[in-house]
Amino acid sequence: MNMIEKILARASGRKAVEPGEVVVANVDCLLLHDLSGYLTGRVFEKEVHRPMRYPERVVMIFDHHFCPPSEEGALVLQENRAFARRHGINLFDCGNGNTHHVAVRNGFIRPGSVIVGSDSHTPIHGTLGCFATGLGNDSHAGTVMPFGKAWFKVPDTIEVRLSGRHKPGVTARDAALWLTAQIGEGGAIYKSLEFTGPYIEQLDFWDRWLFPHIVVDLGAKCGYIEPDEKTLAFVRTVTDKPFDAVRGDADRKFEAKWEWDFSALEPQLACPPTVGNVKTVGEVAGAPVQWAELGGHGGGRLEDFRLAAQILKGRHVHRDSRFNLVPSSRAVFTQAVREGLVELLHECGATWFPPSTGSNQAYNMGAMTADETMISTHARNFPGRNGNPEAKMYLASALTVAASAVAGKIADPRQFLK
Amino acid sequence: MQARGRCWKFGDNIPTDRIVRTDLIFKPWPEILKHVLETCNPEFPANVKPGDIVVTGKHFGQSSGRAIAAKAMKNTKISCIIAEGFARTFYRNGFEIGMPILECPGITAQVSDGDILSVDIESGKVVNETTGAKLQASPTPPFLLDMLKAGGLIAMAERLAGEG
Repeated sequence: MNMIEKILARASGRKAVEPGEVVVANVDCLLLHDLSGYLTGRVFEKEVHRPMRYPERVVMIFDHHFCPPSEEGALVLQENRAFARRHGINLFDCGNGNTHHVAVRNGFIRPGSVIVGSDSHTPIHGTLGCFATGLGNDSHAGTVMPFGKAWFKVPDTIEVRLSGRHKPGVTARDAALWLTAQIGEGGAIYKSLEFTGPYIEQLDFWDRWLFPHIVVDLGAKCGYIEPDEKTLAFVRTVTDKPFDAVRGDADRKFEAKWEWDFSALEPQLACPPTVGNVKTVGEVAGAPVQWAELGGHGGGRLEDFRLAAQILKGRHVHRDSRFNLVPSSRAVFTQAVREGLVELLHECGATWFPPSTGSNQAYNMGAMTADETMISTHARNFPGRNGNPEAKMYLASALTVAASAVAGKIADPRQFLK
Repeated sequence: MQARGRCWKFGDNIPTDRIVRTDLIFKPWPEILKHVLETCNPEFPANVKPGDIVVTGKHFGQSSGRAIAAKAMKNTKISCIIAEGFARTFYRNGFEIGMPILECPGITAQVSDGDILSVDIESGKVVNETTGAKLQASPTPPFLLDMLKAGGLIAMAERLAGEG
């Protein structure tokens, strides 16, 4: 069995499972954010009428709002707080950061566990060696909250073997964007993707994070990296709770093996209107951008701010652009202060925002007119997520986002790294 | 379980963000329903009738997995969705809220807007009554047909958890 099959077998009380089987498994952690949490809470209280079985396993994180801009938003958060109190679940209020980062940094995500969430990027926790996937409100309200369980069809697994080293000016996010286009939106529907190979092994934890991040938009159910010493060392920095990490058998079988090498890769960006519309920065350079942002489920990492500082140092954000910096957690902001990044980027004309999910879906920030364009580290660029459906969103590395903020138009970061 | 109705045809890779715009998710249903799939076809929310059938291309319902997108489709009172393929969260949500959905590769080439379709959900047989074309949808797993017959996940949750 592979890692996912072993985790699902253990969680459903079976010796073994096979792809295609439906199992009912114990869930170790349910992640809700302020929007999904509200919808799920309503279903749970209006349609299920049972107690919360394991409140300690349920975590609600306000990340689309850091300070509600409307009474409607304030009411949603008020209801959520009351729901959290009534049922005794964990609550992280406004200003804590992005849901997935807050969950990891507070030790809720431990190797070998079953993680579900209503945010579709929940598979990102495969980075820690978990079986992690996004479910809908009715699964959470109907079976996870009252019984601590959920149903799963065991997926077929594909090995995605990655190798090579980037050229200067190219980052792990460029590799992940490019890989999205290679596999294609919907190119791995219902599959489980195991990321392997020398490229993945040499990446640090937060760069590995960018690969399970993309699997949902490939259509996959989950994606993961087998936990190694780097994973375990990272987990020990965020929790002292026990866990039982799982690795697949050496002779595990894959449905297919896909291989890519990143040695020749140029800086990439996903162009509107979909995440699979990936081009080299060179093909799009020169398009004006009014907004640039570091934030989102994959962004707002300390690594992103360090990369931006490489570009911004000694330069200034272009007068026609605004550069939003959204830390993914309070821990990241603290470290950015310690490293001098907060002052450096502020003095260069960028604006710091509270830890949150930033302009993701424009709940608290990030609405645009039909004429405006943003370039960001966000996960998605679909129309309708940032104000007017005609507004454009490009997704790129922190280097390319920062370079574009300086140039006021989409720009190749390598011209600033010489 | 049978469905029969007028066809509304949509393209590939339609995200949940275009089924229910993100700024509408906390609005009351009548407000949400005025805008369902509006940016894909403005005629749809204005003229969809109970019993109509939505036919879509590949990977329908990608992006956010929130069930409100599936619930909005159900609340238009369409009788089913037939797709070349669904995003997995939309597929799961469809059955969990008790809305009939079928995957039927090749369907978009065989139907046009306004055609009358009839569908047997359990056998997966699809007939385009307007053209006479017949198609066979992919089989629905028995576990999900059970869920559909029960009226959705919440109705069968105790049994599923082994506590019913």
